[in-house]
Amino acid sequence: MPSIEQPQQRQFNPYSENGGTILAIAGADFSVIAGDTRQSEGYSIQTRYAPKVFRLTDRAVLAVNGFAADGNMFVKKVRQRLEWYRHAHAKDMPLRAIARLIQTMLYARRFFPFYVYNILGGIEEDGTGAVYSFDPVGSYEREACRAAGAAQSLVQPFLDNQIYFKNQLPAPGTSHPAHLPLSTVLSLVIDSFTSATERHIEVGDGLEIYIVFSKGSTSLQGLASVRGLQEVTTTDDGERVFVIRRELKKD
Amino acid sequence: MNSFAERFSTTTAASHMRNAQKLAEEDDEFDGTMWGSSAGFGSIAKGVPSFTVPAVADPTAFLRLHTDDHADPSCRIKIQHGTTTLAFRFQGGVIVAVDSRATAGSYIASGTVKKVIEINPYLLGTMAGGAADCQYWETYLGMHCRLHELRNRERISVSAASKYLSNLVYSYKGMGLSMGTMICGWDKTGPAVFYVDSDGTRLKGDLFSVGSGSTFAYGVLDQGYRWDLTDEEAQELGRRSIYAAGHRDAFSGNSCNLYHVKEDGWKFIGNYDISKLHYDGPGNVPGSDGRPYGYDIRVEGLSSTNAPEVAAAA
Amino acid sequence: MSIMEYNGGSVVAMVGKDCVAIASDLRLGNQALGISSNFQKIFPVTDRIYLGLPGLATDVTTLRERFRFRVNMYTIKEEREIEPETFAHLVSSTLYEHRFGPYFIEPVIAGISKTPSGGVKPFIAATDLIGCLNFAKDFVVAGTASSKLFGVAEGLWEPDLEPEDLFETISQTLLNAVDRDAYSGWGGIVHVITKDKVVTRTLKGRMD
Repeated sequence: MPSIEQPQQRQFNPYSENGGTILAIAGADFSVIAGDTRQSEGYSIQTRYAPKVFRLTDRAVLAVNGFAADGNMFVKKVRQRLEWYRHAHAKDMPLRAIARLIQTMLYARRFFPFYVYNILGGIEEDGTGAVYSFDPVGSYEREACRAAGAAQSLVQPFLDNQIYFKNQLPAPGTSHPAHLPLSTVLSLVIDSFTSATERHIEVGDGLEIYIVFSKGSTSLQGLASVRGLQEVTTTDDGERVFVIRRELKKD
Repeated sequence: MNSFAERFSTTTAASHMRNAQKLAEEDDEFDGTMWGSSAGFGSIAKGVPSFTVPAVADPTAFLRLHTDDHADPSCRIKIQHGTTTLAFRFQGGVIVAVDSRATAGSYIASGTVKKVIEINPYLLGTMAGGAADCQYWETYLGMHCRLHELRNRERISVSAASKYLSNLVYSYKGMGLSMGTMICGWDKTGPAVFYVDSDGTRLKGDLFSVGSGSTFAYGVLDQGYRWDLTDEEAQELGRRSIYAAGHRDAFSGNSCNLYHVKEDGWKFIGNYDISKLHYDGPGNVPGSDGRPYGYDIRVEGLSSTNAPEVAAAA
Repeated sequence: MSIMEYNGGSVVAMVGKDCVAIASDLRLGNQALGISSNFQKIFPVTDRIYLGLPGLATDVTTLRERFRFRVNMYTIKEEREIEPETFAHLVSSTLYEHRFGPYFIEPVIAGISKTPSGGVKPFIAATDLIGCLNFAKDFVVAGTASSKLFGVAEGLWEPDLEPEDLFETISQTLLNAVDRDAYSGWGGIVHVITKDKVVTRTLKGRMD
């Protein structure tokens, strides 16, 4: 029986997947945004250090994950729009306005999407920590914590249990804390990434954690015992941004 | 024939893009409002949002290839889909009840999605299908409803608002938008619910449910619905229907958000965790008898598989 | 949609100090529709060995009966109870018999084995659908929520947990992981196996 072949078509695939994982947690007056630094394609590692978390303003940090080329280009475009806003209005764009801006920028490419999962973390106008997560075409939502990327299904349920205390009953007479202190949050972030590195091939090499503090934040004391801290604040408005770098397993 | 209509039409996506490009070329006609950060995509100052379309022969097939997870579950770009929403009108206004789960494939991406979009203080829109499509276009609808108010010194009717949305998505018909929404409000004709979807359907009706869990919600809704429900009974019906869908449908659940639209605008009634509704019921809420909604809990000790303790011992 | 996701369900097993625990959800679905909230996927093989079978429901029933037959034959011939390691290899070879038309199940085995010196050693293993064995020292996961189970288990597990602590750890692992999976959930069941007894507890999980 002769087989009849269907016509075949080859087309350039504009997308690729570069692995990695990002996560952000909002505290009472701070926000933590972290991402690993491995960039891979299939079974190969392209580089061990490719940052995925970028400081936009002293109040906002954007983490991008998915297709690295789209991610880097998207951050460039967002920074450009923020600069135009600064020139037009003589101030930085507030966080929830940046979130809405990111929605419209992503949706403008509804028919040829940016293959990026964005997480925007920072301090709102009222001084509280905030995390906004986006899908590739722009739907967004404000949350207390979110993980995205290759190992999101590994990290997010762990965070549900440890940050939101899901499936846990509080001790009788008490209730779960609404916000966790900075030291707890940092340990959870590091544990999440070491766990993800253990069980997912595309996660590893290094970890970069950005912390954004609101004006007069009391959580700054939590940083006293942290080694390898670096401040990247640029203005004097009161909000401060720090970076912590850690190693992750390289296999 | 089609190309003739394409060239001279004013409402298709292609013509919108042409208009936007024409406006973009008129750079020397800057007026005071158009400088600064209003540059770039999605800016209404330029008239109409223009969308980047890939330079391939068939952009729709391109988009479907890379994002549609019905045809190809292993596609890379997983767009979050929304899932059980319902709205019905009755003597006391409109009840809008939705779940709050978003799934990307089988992964539950979020359990706290706001599927009711507050277009303005007296109009609500629901979200089913593509979350981004619903969020973006219903926000856009809100802007146009406000412009209508400013131009006509009168609130926009639900009929006009839903028609605006429906015509808008019709101009993108076939390009891959996915939206099944209900526009609900109370205007001078009374309470109104319009179902609008991305195929271009626009239907006025008394009762609708949209999403993967809609069949389960209809089951409860159809048997409990009457025009002369009291406010509390209607809220209970909405809550109970979303519970049924959240329980049975794998893609619906987490919590129920309940809204009630009255003559003076909408009111947010509450957020109810669906698992808590199963085990404990809605609690001390007007309209409910406080008993748990879960079937096993309600038939505890009443069937052969879980006979009462006394009978089991005997 | 994948055949492994048709009915849904997940199983996890963990090693503790002289004890093992195995847990599963209780959902049986038909794609998106949930049908039963009481579908057992974990079965006792002997007093000390439990077998978890996540995957296609019809194969759960079939494999349970095939293993019951084979273990009974083993017991009759050998005049002793089967040990966990041997049972794991039995599972592996049974699955490989259908290498080119497999059962759509990824079994998980948990048990207590006897050491030559008379002590006890906790044992867990998992196989893929054609019988490749994985003898893990910490925990094994399988089913539609496997990646979620990996994440939580990796975060919560530590070595040498006492039976009560192991129960808490495995319960939290199961409940939080299945709450992020559309095809698993509707309750949970946990068996904690020690040298002298097996304690079975049902978990009150999310019913959506």
